[in-house]
Amino acid sequence: MGKLSGLQRAVLSLYRQCIRALRDKPNDTRENFRLFVREEFRKHINVDRKDFSTIEYLLRRGHRQLDIYQDPGIRNILR
Amino acid sequence: MFRTALLRSARQAIRSAPRCQTPIARPVVRSSLFQSKHITPAAYFQAVRCYSAHAGLAKEEVEGRIMDLLKNFDKVTDTSKLNGQSHFHNDLGLDSLDTVEVVMAIEEEFSIEIPDKEADAIHSVKQAVDYILAQPDAH
Amino acid sequence: MATTRALARLATRRTAVRPAVFTRSFASVDPISKAAEATVPDPARKAIPKSRTSTVKDPEPAKAAKIKTFHIYRWNPDEPTSKPRMQTYTLDLNKTGPMMLDALIRIKNETDPTLTFRRSCREGICGSCAMNIDGVNTLACLCRIPTDTAKESRIYPLPHMFIVKDLVPDMTLFYKQYRSIKPYLQRATPPPDGREYRQSIAERKKLDGLYECILCACCSTSCPSYWWNQEEYLGPAVLLQSYRWIADSRDEKKAERQDALNNSMSVYRCHTILNCSRTCPKGLNPALAIAEIKKSMSFM
Repeated sequence: MGKLSGLQRAVLSLYRQCIRALRDKPNDTRENFRLFVREEFRKHINVDRKDFSTIEYLLRRGHRQLDIYQDPGIRNILR
Repeated sequence: MFRTALLRSARQAIRSAPRCQTPIARPVVRSSLFQSKHITPAAYFQAVRCYSAHAGLAKEEVEGRIMDLLKNFDKVTDTSKLNGQSHFHNDLGLDSLDTVEVVMAIEEEFSIEIPDKEADAIHSVKQAVDYILAQPDAH
Repeated sequence: MATTRALARLATRRTAVRPAVFTRSFASVDPISKAAEATVPDPARKAIPKSRTSTVKDPEPAKAAKIKTFHIYRWNPDEPTSKPRMQTYTLDLNKTGPMMLDALIRIKNETDPTLTFRRSCREGICGSCAMNIDGVNTLACLCRIPTDTAKESRIYPLPHMFIVKDLVPDMTLFYKQYRSIKPYLQRATPPPDGREYRQSIAERKKLDGLYECILCACCSTSCPSYWWNQEEYLGPAVLLQSYRWIADSRDEKKAERQDALNNSMSVYRCHTILNCSRTCPKGLNPALAIAEIKKSMSFM
């Protein structure tokens, strides 16, 4: 792992926000949310790091999803 | 402004008080992921903390707690390379996303918030221990 | 003049379009299933091969067909690494309604169900189908298909917006800006007679040309200032709405509203380019509203 680019740091920052958001979820369903977060990020793990437009799009979508799933009314997530 | 001042003075008061008399409350909210395989006896650390000489945390205790976290982290498959000098990526085979999860778990364990910039710089057990020891709020 | 034109339109409709509608209702049953088979991507959702960008033909062109070509912007978020592309469709105008929205709906119904766009009222009152048609931001439901079949039409989403899919732009920021101007009556004192907040005819007249705005975002997304400073400049649509509340005689927070706008970015990024007034599909004049805001703030 070399020095991270700004975009890579933005992705990690989003991941961090997602993991922090897990703490507000109920104890018994938190693992479902954790798996969901992991899966959503790993789904796009092979995107080329130079493909800025795609990464920026995924970041925007991620932030929007985080906003939605942060709602305390959402208590469980199943696939 | 007033609130911060109040908090600061309260914090100082607590720190100046003898350590053993302060009510010892280990953070109970530990991620269930890290409890699933291995349950650490909480009392062990409380005892350690009571005997520690200074107000902050002892290095061995911090290291022990971080190692326990890693031991129970499902992405760490090879625990033989786990020691106080382990590098998350080179020794434990964790990628950057896993590292974020570890650092977030450490954050939760010691009840602190690590800013993005500092969190990005933590890549090994040693760096994590040093960071925690430098935090007066960690407990 | 307008009446005669409308009558003429009705007359042509009765002769030319009616029978076409009947044929369409018969024709649309089978082609749908065929087209769906041909265009639904494989379950693994692989990237679309180049061959699929080829022209999708009208299912059953008639003998004296008036074939019109449409180039439509396509982008699928399920394949985030793929680049946007233009897809070409041809339609027989004899079997298609008169408006661009009719063409889009017909493509979606009969040839390519994956084409995605917003639409709701189909009569220019909801503002959902705002898009860039032949280089002009407008509502697809109010835009006639040019009958000259020699010219090809190009349809893009609203410019300089993030895209959700195909012709659907992400309006989050636009709505957030709208929320920021507090688009509702702010008043502390109750009405004197305990009933309604009343206005004189002259006071009400000030809101004409403002209240009709449907927030389709055609004007904002045509404004170069808004393209480059979306984060800070409010844009013509939101400023027109802001002026609608500043000009309202019943509102009691006029000074606060003006205060909130009084900075270098919110209003003063308007350089009177006037694209907004030129493009507004409802014939409103956002540039005039912005000028009125500037005027009222300079004499505060």
